[in-house]
Amino acid sequence: MRARRDVYQAIADPTRRAIIGMLAEQPQNVNTIAEQFDVTRQAISLHVKILSDCGLIFIRKEGRDHICEARLDSLSEVSVWVEQYKKHWESKLDSLESYLEQLKKERYGK
Amino acid sequence: MENEKSSTHDRELIITRKLNAPVELVWEVWTQPEHIAKWWGPNGFTNTITTMDLVPGGVWELVMHGPDGKDYQNRSIFKEVVPLKKIVYQHFAPSFVTTVEFEAQGEETFLRWHMLFESAEQMIRIVKSNNAAEGLKQNVDKLSVYLEGRKATTQS
Repeated sequence: MRARRDVYQAIADPTRRAIIGMLAEQPQNVNTIAEQFDVTRQAISLHVKILSDCGLIFIRKEGRDHICEARLDSLSEVSVWVEQYKKHWESKLDSLESYLEQLKKERYGK
Repeated sequence: MENEKSSTHDRELIITRKLNAPVELVWEVWTQPEHIAKWWGPNGFTNTITTMDLVPGGVWELVMHGPDGKDYQNRSIFKEVVPLKKIVYQHFAPSFVTTVEFEAQGEETFLRWHMLFESAEQMIRIVKSNNAAEGLKQNVDKLSVYLEGRKATTQS
């Protein structure tokens, strides 16, 4: 399974929800965020990257700092609906995928 | 990224998937009615394909039978058919154009599924009604509530 980058994935994880919450109050740099969690900085960097890939935060470079800002406008109702609709089509592909597996088994016994 | 956005970016949907099957098999299950009926979802639905004339200008009619006993008619016209490579069809009511591209990658196939709607507004309407039809609203509502909570935090 490859990783999917959507708002659902973004908020599926409690740490990421906490990060969004913190950034919603004020922009912070990655190190400051990391200090507030009991996990490695690498783990936080990965969460930040996922949130950024999902378009929920924007990372701005200021000298050596990477300032993260929440982009909550991207969480408008519309984008949520679209993501849900996309999931509907993704599930069609899931179904195609498993049907192909089934056919291959029937035909080639593998 | 901004510069790469096309003029269709706000009215299209693109999904891709690498399928663990050769392109001949993927093409077969995509183009033969008895196969399509088996996988054309959504979950809990069954499908009847009444017509599938896979040539440019050919009609494709499919009825999805919902778990609630409701039938959903789908009517499309194929616009372009390139064996083992590409299928383009115009779907009606709602109106959108789907382009499915097949790319052979050895024993695997890369599938690119592109849906182009008439306008961003029309896309949103379709998206909303589709979600409602599938009973997905609850999830979305939950998420919306969560997001509203986050926004409230920002503004306070």
